[in-house]
Amino acid sequence: MLAGFQLALNRIDVLSEKAIDDVFGGAPEQVTGPAFWILVLAVLAFVGRVASRWFIFNAGRDAEYELRALLLHRLHRLGTAFYRKMSAGEIMSRSTGDLQQVRLLLGFGVLNVVNVFFAFASALQVMLTRSVKLTLVSFTVMPLLMLVTRNFSKSMFTRTRANQEALGKLSDVLQTNLAGVRVVRSFALETRERRRFDVANEAYLEASLGLARLRGLMGPLIGAASSVGVLAFFWYGATLLLEGAITRGAFFAFWSAYIRMMWPMASLGFAVSIVQRGRASYTRLKDIFEAVPEVVDGPAPPPPRVDGEIRVEHLSFSYAGKDESTPHTVVDDVSFAVPAGKSIALVGRTGSGKSTIAMLLARLLPTPPGTVYVDGKDVCDLPLSTVRENVGYAQQDAFLFSTTVARNIGLCLDDCDTEASTARIREAAAEAQVLEEALGLPEQLDTVVGERGVQLSGGQKQRIALARALVREPKVLVLDDPLSAVDAKTEAAILDAIERQAKARTVVLVTHRVAAAARCDHIVVLDGGRIVDEGTHEELVTRPGLYASFAEEQSAATELEAIDVDQVAPEEVVA
Amino acid sequence: MTAKAPPKKKASGTLRDFHEEEKLGQSYDATLFRRLWPFMRPQGRLLAIALVMIVGVAALNLVRPLVMKAIIESAQNAQPQDLLTYGVTLALLVVGIQSVSFAQMYAMQIAGARSMADLRAHLFSFMQRLELRYYDRTPVGRLVTRATNDVDAVNELFASGVLNAVGDLVQLVGIVVMMLRLDARMSLIAFAALPFVALVVTFVRRRAREAYRDIRVKTARLNAFLNEQVAGMSVVQAYAREEAMAAEFDGINSEYRDANKRSIFYEAVLDAAIEMVSTVCIASILWWAGLQRVGHSGITFPLVVAFTQYIRQFFEPVSMLATRYTVLQSAMSGAERIFKLLDEAEVEQEVPPPAASPTKAPENEALALEDVTFSYKKGVPVLRDVSLHVQRGEKVALVGATGAGKTTVTALLLRLYEIERGVARVLGKDLRAWDRRELREQFSVVPQDVFLFAGTVASNVAMSDETPDLEKVERALARIGALDLFLRRPGGLEARVDERGANFSAGERQLLAFARALYRDAPLLVLDEATASIDSDTEARLQAALEAVMEGRTAIVIAHRLSTIRAVDRIVVFHRGRIVETGRHEELLAQGGVYAKLYRLQFALEAERAEAERASETAAPT
Repeated sequence: MLAGFQLALNRIDVLSEKAIDDVFGGAPEQVTGPAFWILVLAVLAFVGRVASRWFIFNAGRDAEYELRALLLHRLHRLGTAFYRKMSAGEIMSRSTGDLQQVRLLLGFGVLNVVNVFFAFASALQVMLTRSVKLTLVSFTVMPLLMLVTRNFSKSMFTRTRANQEALGKLSDVLQTNLAGVRVVRSFALETRERRRFDVANEAYLEASLGLARLRGLMGPLIGAASSVGVLAFFWYGATLLLEGAITRGAFFAFWSAYIRMMWPMASLGFAVSIVQRGRASYTRLKDIFEAVPEVVDGPAPPPPRVDGEIRVEHLSFSYAGKDESTPHTVVDDVSFAVPAGKSIALVGRTGSGKSTIAMLLARLLPTPPGTVYVDGKDVCDLPLSTVRENVGYAQQDAFLFSTTVARNIGLCLDDCDTEASTARIREAAAEAQVLEEALGLPEQLDTVVGERGVQLSGGQKQRIALARALVREPKVLVLDDPLSAVDAKTEAAILDAIERQAKARTVVLVTHRVAAAARCDHIVVLDGGRIVDEGTHEELVTRPGLYASFAEEQSAATELEAIDVDQVAPEEVVA
Repeated sequence: MTAKAPPKKKASGTLRDFHEEEKLGQSYDATLFRRLWPFMRPQGRLLAIALVMIVGVAALNLVRPLVMKAIIESAQNAQPQDLLTYGVTLALLVVGIQSVSFAQMYAMQIAGARSMADLRAHLFSFMQRLELRYYDRTPVGRLVTRATNDVDAVNELFASGVLNAVGDLVQLVGIVVMMLRLDARMSLIAFAALPFVALVVTFVRRRAREAYRDIRVKTARLNAFLNEQVAGMSVVQAYAREEAMAAEFDGINSEYRDANKRSIFYEAVLDAAIEMVSTVCIASILWWAGLQRVGHSGITFPLVVAFTQYIRQFFEPVSMLATRYTVLQSAMSGAERIFKLLDEAEVEQEVPPPAASPTKAPENEALALEDVTFSYKKGVPVLRDVSLHVQRGEKVALVGATGAGKTTVTALLLRLYEIERGVARVLGKDLRAWDRRELREQFSVVPQDVFLFAGTVASNVAMSDETPDLEKVERALARIGALDLFLRRPGGLEARVDERGANFSAGERQLLAFARALYRDAPLLVLDEATASIDSDTEARLQAALEAVMEGRTAIVIAHRLSTIRAVDRIVVFHRGRIVETGRHEELLAQGGVYAKLYRLQFALEAERAEAERASETAAPT
């Protein structure tokens, strides 16, 4: 298409030469022929141009689309180790900025390189056949032009980055100021904050002006470089015309060819730097594409059925420290077992490792081989989909997607809109004690939650997340502190629901609440990653230890909760 | 590429329907411009200069084809001298046009960037005076967007040169005049093409604008989705929803691609159509010229060259005008959002103090609350009829379960919120009679999460002082017995503090906050103790520091440590927004009421542990 387009342009030049020579030569009446053909060719050139851009830019967009799909696909397979190393912001910057650069390389970059090749051929043919000397003279500035655009494009990129960074800095200052608005006001720090803002504001102003200067200079620079060429052409061309070495038609055709070469030449400089940048961006994307997932499918075939018996043997786990040398042990030689259909509670303070164990059960962290068994089979040998399907994990910080309540609860369902699905969603919501409140929302279960929808309280979010886990009906239900933001009355109701659940499946309940643990068949008490005690609730409360002091603390809290403030006379406090 | 992208099905549309861009009402451009003007006026001279230069560039552009014509004429007439002169003139003209355009554009950018910096500064000051309640219900990100992205959108008025529309118009009119003067009949051929071009431009531009808007919406959706996927990755994995999410993403991703493809098509058509029309025009002119030559009319070769050049220049402004209109629209919607914020949000008001204070403040009173009621959310009072009097030099501990209202009391005293009912006095003066800043300067605040700035140890202790008084910093640190601890760090008082004090431990941050309070030397101290457990060495240091800071000051402490409640003069017990008990530790414990239960809940474990530690220390052979 590009070749056709350039060929058409080439022919237009030749025809206009003939036309001009006809008009100003001896046979003006013959002009109709060439003029007509120019018209036809102009239409052809139009089609060629549109089509070539369409094909090449679309190819760039298609590639971008594929790369982006691949990116998400890779991200889905990567585990916590990766997300610790690369922040969400960094991932986003790579999947937006760098992906665009690669797209430019594949679209604009390729288009230009190919186009410049054809443009060269087509224009040069016209120019050389008209006058070799004139061609040489007019060409003196071409390399200069390319050099200018290439360097320009490079510094443009750095300046754009600097500008982005200055804007980022300004946003940061604003963000911290606004997030810390209470501190700023309590300490009367307005002047100091104003100074910080002014500095950032000024820096951004300077950066954007720097960018403007550079962008503005492009015109004069390219203009100057090309006008030297135009000058050379006009001066020498006119001399040749004067001498009669070339005809007026040839002069016109040459000029036309020359002008249409100028832009592809200049943009070749841009293209070169786009190619360089695109390659650098691609290496940055490769960091994500080639990151090795730590949790992968095991070799064993999926078992025909899963009963849900869980055995943990000598499980230890440490997170890599900030620097690789200091791993931080969070789980230290933990063993326990739960028969299928029974329940177990993991009890401990924040940081005792109980949540880590919960995640290891579902292989959401790289579970060491030979430590966790489901129905006697090592989870590391099983296909990942089998493990995740059968070991349902509801996390502590209830992350909800910004969609409707119903779709959040029915996350594991393929279609949330069928009657059967709606019934299951409602049932789960009722079990998690959130149905009534959800029905009180502006659009009931179809209310959108999050940033652009209704903001829910921590307790509501937690209960929606619980309902989400219940809908799934897995063989093993792992609940990671599902009650931390729920009041006592709701807690009791939810615990009843969990107890009902426990009749049909194995339940692993991670909690720091004694009231919740008390309902489980077996309790494991953790401290500092180790098991310090275990037994039933009745056994544990009677012997002194962590569990007993938890029980003591929490009964005080319950009593406190029960005090009706209006019974206690408010006092006038005067010293 | 190491893996195949997941299979693509039609997206089921779970999340993608909810990221639509906010719709904006009809913007009234004139009103918005009037409101923007105060920010632009200081740059009025630059803007005027830029405008003059725009017209200048347009004029110079008009001369260019004439010079070309002159060159060819002199060539035809065999005047090499003229040829050189005109050649140089042309080159100078081209460079001149570029340089003036650059100066023009730069002047415009300076004017724009400065106006926008002023607008941002105005927004910043405005946000500093916004009521805290506004922050309670508005995501910070939205406010940041107003001062960054939206202001940048307005800046496009200058950066992409919407005002250059003036130049485009001048040029358009100029070219028409020039062409008519050169050859009226030949011009008509070019003008005949104009309606066609105008039609194509308006049609394509409208479509392209829709495509761009679509792209913006789709981009936002795409990024929001990806962001959410990364943030909620563990949920996606735990529920094995990778395939479903990928399918949904595919829907968004392909919509984004298709929207872009549409814009590619329109862009390509527009550029190519204009080029085609200009070629067709040139061909028609040549043809017509040929026919005319038959009749020996005065159409010369130089004239044709000049004319062709005019035609090339003719369609440029037509297509630019449409682009500029698009930019104008997006700038105006940015301005609209900004002014909406400035109009809607509540700013801290000066409340007139009550005509006559009903009760005269007692001589020795430092702080007083009388029957104070307050609620964050209407109908849910956080404090109910709270009365509390604190004498100068007295140390009071506030205790209570989470949500009992302790922190609210301190927030009201600092006038971060206005009390709903009742009277409050600070240092004998009614709260509403204080200037907010002056009031807050009477307090040293040590918050629960100590807030350290990026800077040095010294600058963090001195905080609001531009240049920290090092001697005073040293004295403050020495007074709380932590000087040695900080001098031990490389750099001493000039040691670097990272953003949010990430390179300091929780205990060290607390100590710095105490030093800060001493440096500030305000008569009133508000201390919200950290709940985080701290090692026993730092614990001892904090204990000493606390006593040093409280000495000679009136102190209100939200206590979380046993040592603190033992060190104060009086304990005030909050329960569900009311003061229920007050007295000294032993008395309250003996009462067996709320405090006794609180003690069991919050402090007993700590007491036990301290007891055990002491026992093991004495038992250990030394």
